[in-house]
Amino acid sequence: MKEKLYKKEITLTIVFSVLLLLVGHSASIFVLFPGLQQGTLWGFPVQYIIPILLGWFGVAAVSLVMTIMCNKFDDEMEEYVSLLPPETETETQTEKIYE
Amino acid sequence: MPAEYALSNVWIGLGIVFILFVIFYGVGFMASRKTSSDEDFYAAGFSIGPVTNGLGMAATWASLATFLGVIALILKLQVPFVYLWIQWAISIPLLTLLYGTSLRRMKAFTPATFIKQRYGKPATIVIVCWMILIMIMYALGQMIGLGRAFELLFGVPYNTAIIVAGVATVGFITIGGMYGATYNAAFQMVVMTIAMVVPMGAIMKIMGSSGWWFPPLAYGDMVPEMIKNIPTFFDMKYDFRWYFALIPAFTLGPIALPHLAMKVFTSSSVKSARWAVVWFALFLGLLFSGTYVVGFAGNFFTATTGNVIAKADQTLLILNVFYNPTLVAAFVMGGAVAAGLSTIGGNLMAIAGLVGADLLGIIAPDMETSKKMKWGYAALLTGGAVAIIMAFRPPKFLVTSILWAFGLLATTATPAILLGVWWKEANKLALIVSSLFCGFLFILISPHVIPSICVGKGLVAALGMSGGMVTIPLSFAMFIILSIVFNRISLLKAYAPTLVDKKVIDRIHGWGTDYEETRYNGITSPLIISAICLAIFFWGLQPWT
Repeated sequence: MKEKLYKKEITLTIVFSVLLLLVGHSASIFVLFPGLQQGTLWGFPVQYIIPILLGWFGVAAVSLVMTIMCNKFDDEMEEYVSLLPPETETETQTEKIYE
Repeated sequence: MPAEYALSNVWIGLGIVFILFVIFYGVGFMASRKTSSDEDFYAAGFSIGPVTNGLGMAATWASLATFLGVIALILKLQVPFVYLWIQWAISIPLLTLLYGTSLRRMKAFTPATFIKQRYGKPATIVIVCWMILIMIMYALGQMIGLGRAFELLFGVPYNTAIIVAGVATVGFITIGGMYGATYNAAFQMVVMTIAMVVPMGAIMKIMGSSGWWFPPLAYGDMVPEMIKNIPTFFDMKYDFRWYFALIPAFTLGPIALPHLAMKVFTSSSVKSARWAVVWFALFLGLLFSGTYVVGFAGNFFTATTGNVIAKADQTLLILNVFYNPTLVAAFVMGGAVAAGLSTIGGNLMAIAGLVGADLLGIIAPDMETSKKMKWGYAALLTGGAVAIIMAFRPPKFLVTSILWAFGLLATTATPAILLGVWWKEANKLALIVSSLFCGFLFILISPHVIPSICVGKGLVAALGMSGGMVTIPLSFAMFIILSIVFNRISLLKAYAPTLVDKKVIDRIHGWGTDYEETRYNGITSPLIISAICLAIFFWGLQPWT
């Protein structure tokens, strides 16, 4: 169980870091592949409007999915922690500073 | 600036700013009644809900530069600067994902609270000093901008404007603490967004755009005319390395900004912090898209009317004075003032937290909470006073570029936080050595100290992008490699992470009392990251065109 949770935490962090970097730095893709700098959307060149849209709605969408999945992961983690054996006195003292 | 671009009636401007300050002080006074502990003062009692926090985060991040500096740079550099600005929207989401929720779980006041627990006192002093330097640079830049905005609005001399604006600003921030800073920032974000977006609708209508009903995204019908007048406007202009260099300096730098992290920490829970990020992305995207349309309209204005905007940072005001009634133009300046105030509020709260909570926690760990809070007030007031005094005759080095400071922060503090949260092997001495060495190296190879040994040239060097592409990966690689080496030298055993240090990592990730030595403790992945960092370091050293 805990190994699965650990892997899930690392996977979520890597996947959402990469997704955020992609939506925030999508202009780089147009520089890397100049062939994509063709056509228009809503009257704008695609290499202008796509990064703006991804930098706004793309970041919001990734953040939304990230929030839902990470909050669900927290629930699973809390469920796992609640099944742990009772703490010793020393551990309880240390625990006080954390939620 | 030609006289026809000045605000025709200063009393209207004065009235708008006076009303805004009355509201800010009112919020500050109400907030002061809720502040009774250090948790209230530094973290708003860990009680802020997602919508208010999302607005507050966006306001704190969107500084006076959103209204003045960035528009000037879009006018000068055109579309590449839009790309530079876009990527800042991922700063707080990344911060929250990579360490914000973990540090919220331990109820940290600032990132340095974690540094102290994870690395001990000497390393904390190093990181706190870097952060305070950067916060002062940041607050100083805002204070100068605020003084210039007041000078422009009321026609008073700059020094008078600095005193009036500075004292009035520091006053309401000191009164309200983090509660006041947060609620005021949320209100300021609303003012800023309306001031940026709504008047642009009227301007676009006069300019002939059918998309005046939604300025941020509906000005596509102006594009053919723009390309006819400025054929290069949408050119990407720079090579791939220029765009890649945005990541180390401008993505990794801001995620360590203490005033942004503190906003995440004020959330009512870890889950609430994540929801706040969603609201942040929506609110900030709207404001930033407003900024891009002003930059576009400024270029369009100069190209199609033949008018010259001599002071590019006043583009927004000039467009409003030219096309809109005085009352609207004055409200737009009120929005710019609100943008400056929200960021100064965040900067000063960060200085207060770093000095009053973190440094004082080292010097006098047994001090009573009430006394700590008083020191926090004193630190906030002193930070504000220092920014005001320095703004009279600002040291050139400190105001050259706030953006340059992001590279310094990414070099000195980001590796400490990220590796501290995600890697148990991170060594205390390795942090001190890599942070100090790479931090001073970043300063040295910038064009601001010894221009003859600068990495890169022109804007890319002045903004710290070329320097950052050298020192930021070097700092990560050095920290990792030195940690692995130092942890295996018995003479340096005192600096190796202890079991207590390692337990901190498991706990902030939510594992409670379940400690596992092998968790967050690999060697292979950090070594791969080091190899990638060293490759980027050598890429950064290649001549910049």
